[in-house]
Amino acid sequence: MTDETDVAPVVAPADETTTRKLGIGFWISVTWIAVVVLAALLAPWLPLKDPDANFIVPGERPPYSPNGTHWFGTDQDARDLFSRTIFGARISLTVGFVAIACGMVFGGALGILAGFFRGWWDRIISFVFLVLLSFPALVLAILITALLERSQRTISNTLGILSISPVGRVARATTISFADREFVLAARTLGAKNSRIIIRELLPNVLIPMGALALLGMAVAVVAEGGLAFLGLSVAKGSTWGKLILNGSGSRLLADSPWVAFAPILVLFITVLALNFAGDRLRSYFDVKETSL
Amino acid sequence: MTAIDLSLRVEPGTPLLELENLRTHFKTERGLVRAVDGVTFTLNRGESLGIVGESGSGKTVLSRSIMGLLPSTAVNHGVVKFAGRDILGLSSKEMRHLWGAEMSMVFQNPLNSLNPLMKIGKQITEPLKLHLNMDKIDARDTALQLLRDVRIPEAERRLDQYPHELSGGMRQRVMIAIALACGPTLLFADEPTTALDVTVQAQILDLINEQRRNRNMSVILVTHDLGVVAGHTDQIAVMYGGKLVEYAPTKSLMRSIPRLEDPSHSRLATIPGRPPDLVNPPKGCNFAPRCLYAQPKCHVEEPSLTPAADPAHVYACWYPVGTPEFEKRDAELQETGYMPDDISAVS
Amino acid sequence: MSYWLQRLGAAIALLLAVSMLTFGAMNLLGDPLFNILGPSAGDTETEEGRQIIQAAKDEYNLDDPLPARYVQWAAGFVTGDFGVQFGLDGEPPVSDLIKERLPRTLTLLIMAQMMAVTLAIPWALFSASRADSAIDKVSTVTSFMFIALPSFALAVIMKYLFVIKFEIFPLIFNAADPLASRLWQMVLPAMVLALPAASVYQRLLRTDLITTLQEDYILTARSKGVSKRNVLFKHALRPSLFSFITIFAINTGALIGGALIVEQVFIIPGLGSAIVEAILREDFPVVLAIVMIVTAGFVVMNVLVDLIYSIIDPRVRAS
Repeated sequence: MTDETDVAPVVAPADETTTRKLGIGFWISVTWIAVVVLAALLAPWLPLKDPDANFIVPGERPPYSPNGTHWFGTDQDARDLFSRTIFGARISLTVGFVAIACGMVFGGALGILAGFFRGWWDRIISFVFLVLLSFPALVLAILITALLERSQRTISNTLGILSISPVGRVARATTISFADREFVLAARTLGAKNSRIIIRELLPNVLIPMGALALLGMAVAVVAEGGLAFLGLSVAKGSTWGKLILNGSGSRLLADSPWVAFAPILVLFITVLALNFAGDRLRSYFDVKETSL
Repeated sequence: MTAIDLSLRVEPGTPLLELENLRTHFKTERGLVRAVDGVTFTLNRGESLGIVGESGSGKTVLSRSIMGLLPSTAVNHGVVKFAGRDILGLSSKEMRHLWGAEMSMVFQNPLNSLNPLMKIGKQITEPLKLHLNMDKIDARDTALQLLRDVRIPEAERRLDQYPHELSGGMRQRVMIAIALACGPTLLFADEPTTALDVTVQAQILDLINEQRRNRNMSVILVTHDLGVVAGHTDQIAVMYGGKLVEYAPTKSLMRSIPRLEDPSHSRLATIPGRPPDLVNPPKGCNFAPRCLYAQPKCHVEEPSLTPAADPAHVYACWYPVGTPEFEKRDAELQETGYMPDDISAVS
Repeated sequence: MSYWLQRLGAAIALLLAVSMLTFGAMNLLGDPLFNILGPSAGDTETEEGRQIIQAAKDEYNLDDPLPARYVQWAAGFVTGDFGVQFGLDGEPPVSDLIKERLPRTLTLLIMAQMMAVTLAIPWALFSASRADSAIDKVSTVTSFMFIALPSFALAVIMKYLFVIKFEIFPLIFNAADPLASRLWQMVLPAMVLALPAASVYQRLLRTDLITTLQEDYILTARSKGVSKRNVLFKHALRPSLFSFITIFAINTGALIGGALIVEQVFIIPGLGSAIVEAILREDFPVVLAIVMIVTAGFVVMNVLVDLIYSIIDPRVRAS
């Protein structure tokens, strides 16, 4: 017994108590995410203006600034920015969701295999992760989207491939830390098959930290889609948040009608902030190590 | 050793350190933790004092309160006079001129208390340059002498080594060299041997004692191990629950330590229960809830320090050994065979 | 020593894997002949058309098997010959294009990283030494917001504020301007990259500093009478730098991605715009060269991190 207890109140970390609760900020974030996701899902059935219609007011040149009818204003073609932003969320969020789902399934499976079997499996899979990680993410995305047609599926799959290694590395690290725990050893000594150990014992434990990662990963994917849009490589048809922002960012339009860019920027920013914040809270709630990311 | 006449600093007749009703409280979410709750004592130049107590008794906090090394969540009340000057209210900016120069501290774990990324030499010369304005060459010479003083072999080579290249005992010697560097008048040693090998412990304690005599310095030795203070201090203060419960010359207190002459099968007396909650301390005597000899009065009224037969020996207990109440209860306990160890096994 | 050999081997293996992957993907998924000749690649009806096709195939060795072409390309790449552009009649050679564009992107990245570090270290020291005070909380929220702000959005916001509203910076990078004004034109784009990076660094460094400040040797330093400032700078900073350095290297990859976008928004003709243009024209040698340079830079960064580790920590040096 050291005498550390003597000074225990001295180092009482202020962080500890706050990380034990999810906190009000977490629930605000989750609410925002839920509202955006619901709006995106239900967009065609909501009483929204047609995102592609031109609401030209006779005698006035668009874009129109935000007002009672057009809450976010309109763009240079007099299209309603509010409904365009909500419809844009459909593609942006789908891309983000598919990407992270892809990362979870493939990255998770590979990571668990590498962490469970170790040896050559581990070496090969870890090297694949390393190769994928050593491309700057955006360069790889550019490469794939440039070679294939720019459909929503290509973009989602590309970002999905990119999320394999970060997710996979966490899955591997978590698996390794669990593989030697008593309950896994117990299952082994009882003669359980590898597949059974992985599915029954490891998967539930590895899923928890990965769930926290999913929110962070989704934020990254949504942002990456925006980046591709700025390089002219996002989804060819339909509007996304990235394309909406790009549209508003030309010097002339930005100077005269900044809301065309700033309305989608605001929604994107709050959504990414909410995803980051919620993911961060979950991560410290489940105590996922920052270093393993 | 550079010759600095430290005796000039303390007026003859003034104690080096005076504590009057020192209280140190921490604000926490659970409430106010009374880590140190009213400690009074006096220490003269050249004397050594051992502060003993179990974990959580407040002894480490006490030594850090005196030095002013506690974080801002700590609130101090009372009086701490160093060489006649009240130092309790001083800011850390003002205290800095005392730290390392007039009072210094040796910590418990030499593995962690030396900076792992800094050469030994630099860690010793740092206070020398800071307080004594030595230049590089002088500071290095002094550091070399200090390492020799604390009997580190191949001192010259050590100056350019990093802590991880030294053994634990050696690192604690370096720590002592750092603490002694500017010739402080008061040295705190906070569990200086707890983390060390048994064989090294005695050497380190002897070293501290030897340096104390050579330098006419006062030492406050904080420990949970009565054996450590036994041979190495003049006075012993026993702390419990943030309070001083006994203060005595070492010789007169040492009778209560188990001795090797005792029958080899007699088990050491352990005390059941755990230290008191310092947020809501018990009413009356802090120790009463764990005391097998507690009487109704103990749970109501707090005992104050009273002198024993030897007036230098004071203690805070209503019914110490020898009082009729104690003897009666002792006889009862003997009869039922209800000895302390039995409860400790359950608790 | 054998450790560094191992590192070198791993780095080379990685570069080989990346180059094969890129080379293979571009040749298998794309159609080099079409990219060189355009629509006339399909002109096999006339004798003239067949001749043009054969000439192009000969010039670019398209009849050789893929592995042979890869080896040929790799041999050229190591000697600094990055091949011939497909489009624009093959002029200038890819190496010349790179020589012109690379310094601009490099300047942008270095400037951004320097800004980020000079901002992040004092910021982290400041907030760590006042952990959990009101001002520390404000700074935590600020850095969190900057991290959530994508580089393209920040670029648009900064462009609006500093170019359009306050007219502090010029809009367009002009390659013909003297060096000083070209550097000045890079300040705003670099800032767009630096602010989120600084926030990431600050967040990490603050956490590590707070951990370090609870170490026993910090108390030792204080008990020696070292001033608060020097405790931070001389005792706490160095041991707290390890994860910061790792993130610095990893983040360089993210910054390269960000640089591509920022170059688009601020119209800087660097590697970013080169690769985007090359991809749109499906000019594979250019894409390949840029991917390889970026990856090599990334690999070198990671080896550098290891080196820096061993410099700041004597314990790593020993092992």
